[in-house]
Amino acid sequence: MRGADAVIKVLAAHGVTTVFGYPGGAIMPIYDALYGSPVEHLLSRHEQGAAFAAVGYARASGKTGVCFATSGPGATNLITSLADALLDSVPLVAITGQVSTSVIGTDAFQEIDVLGMSLSCTKHSFMVTDINDLIPTLYRAFEIAAEGRPGPVLVDIPKDIQIAELEYKTPLQSVADELTPTLTALDAAAALLTQANKPILYVGGGVGMAGAVAHLREFIDVTGIPSVATLKGLGSIAHGTKGYLGMLGMHGGKGANLAVQECDLLIVVGARFDDRVTGRLASFASNAKVLHLDIDAAELGKLRQPDVAIAAELRQVLPALTDAVKGKMAISQWQAEVEDLSRKHQWNYQHPGDLIYAPAMLRRLANKLPEDSVVACDVGQHQMWVAQHMWFRRPEDHLSSAGLGTMGFGLPAAIGAQVARPDATVVTVSGDGSFMMNVQELTTIKRRKLPVKILLIDNQKLGMVKQWQQLFFEERYSETDLSDNPNFVLMASAFDIPGRTINHADQVEQALDEMLNSSGPYMLHVAIDDAFNVWPLVPPGASNSDMMDQMEKQT
Amino acid sequence: MMHNLEITVQQRPEVLERVLRVTRHRGFKVTQMQVSINDDASMAVDLWVEAERAIELLSTQLDKLIDVTHCKVMPALSLGQAANS
Repeated sequence: MRGADAVIKVLAAHGVTTVFGYPGGAIMPIYDALYGSPVEHLLSRHEQGAAFAAVGYARASGKTGVCFATSGPGATNLITSLADALLDSVPLVAITGQVSTSVIGTDAFQEIDVLGMSLSCTKHSFMVTDINDLIPTLYRAFEIAAEGRPGPVLVDIPKDIQIAELEYKTPLQSVADELTPTLTALDAAAALLTQANKPILYVGGGVGMAGAVAHLREFIDVTGIPSVATLKGLGSIAHGTKGYLGMLGMHGGKGANLAVQECDLLIVVGARFDDRVTGRLASFASNAKVLHLDIDAAELGKLRQPDVAIAAELRQVLPALTDAVKGKMAISQWQAEVEDLSRKHQWNYQHPGDLIYAPAMLRRLANKLPEDSVVACDVGQHQMWVAQHMWFRRPEDHLSSAGLGTMGFGLPAAIGAQVARPDATVVTVSGDGSFMMNVQELTTIKRRKLPVKILLIDNQKLGMVKQWQQLFFEERYSETDLSDNPNFVLMASAFDIPGRTINHADQVEQALDEMLNSSGPYMLHVAIDDAFNVWPLVPPGASNSDMMDQMEKQT
Repeated sequence: MMHNLEITVQQRPEVLERVLRVTRHRGFKVTQMQVSINDDASMAVDLWVEAERAIELLSTQLDKLIDVTHCKVMPALSLGQAANS
């Protein structure tokens, strides 16, 4: 068979049922092999959209996402999505066509050094220059993408390799040893835990990526330790868990931030002290000892020196710690303090007046979503409102571009999620700025007749930047006015997506129902006032103890 | 502060770019580097870097590279010894 046929066969052997991509000259043999094969392909209308769909597919299903692009511009268009997958540790295999080996390095048509470009935005990358390496390289790419801390892997395949003949042989697969915690480390961790008077769990995306959600919940159940989560950690802790204070950080809850500032032991689980979480690092939980658990040894001590650190599988560490400290925690006073904080800093959804208050609308949406649902959001104010006011059953149900903060993520990620979970209710919550960044993917919804719901929150502003201009740049609103937006509902209708606009609070309930009950895709365009900002907020460079909220701003 | 890393990498055309990219991005300045090809498809990289940051911020990141099979921080030497090494 040809190299191109082997590519498709390797995908099938890895259980890949859908690939996202866009064809072009240097990847034509692979698209030829795809034709009539059992592996489905969903055509995007921009390679960034294809790769984000693969990211959405991976994040909603826990499987490795796969995308294709041609050489040159096809490959460069993947770069943003690869960077997004790198910063959010998403398992992805990107396969790019390349010009033939004989002309590599001659500035051939659509030739660019993709391997060179990939170095800073992938976990690993390959260029295949020998047909005998093709199958082992692809197998290795799938292993690397998923093992340890997951991430994107790019395989660049020159056209002559795609058409070269080979005999298909399944390579011997190495089974990577799981990183097991040492007994000494576990003992030290257990000692920290049992000695703590005010411990708190700071839970990140690593818990979901490790498949350790159940193990974490058991640990919380047994120990009663209060908890907070990062943007990527949302959904790891069950909604309503006693002592769970929601998201911490720049736009986290006041209760969550104050509890972390107050703790004497910070238990960091699959998280990495991102600056959006810590605020001023030197004053972040500054009186606390730190127990850091993560699969990636490079995260331990990167920004905060831990007292005890364990680089091992969370699925092993958490149950071991649960057993070690069972019945030995004495933190009832602290639990009561946290309950007080939680009560004192509850969200207030009472918002009198006719205007639609997005936080209240999103809370209603969360309460209405069925058991099997996914929310993919874009980046900006609406993204923070989703994180603050919606709740999720599992981390796979909340797709948000956390590390890279990529506008344009939501729509294609929702497409990938809907393909991965065809029976799920998939809603993309977007803003008028972000939505336009991958708006061409409306065609992909039309092409596959995907029932994706689009909740477009429109304040005719690049809202988060506007908020910062208002607060920190003397209200000099440089290039954040988007009042020349298109008619979104009319535009959606051009893609056979029905929808409506609402702008009064009393329309919200019925409009959300109409959207959720529609059998196909739907756009609910929600016009909100541009005066609404995201609160509370830790100003840049400030400590998490010093959150601004709306009241302070008005005085 | 000067640091010395003893690194073994797999022979791949782009492997030195990977090592140097990570070194630059993580805030370390290369002051000296020696590369030799071994018989077993590996290469030895003797890397000297300078930075205010703790060397573990670099060594753990280099260790994560798939093509890096060994990365060891060598005991600190005085600057005089380093210059003569």
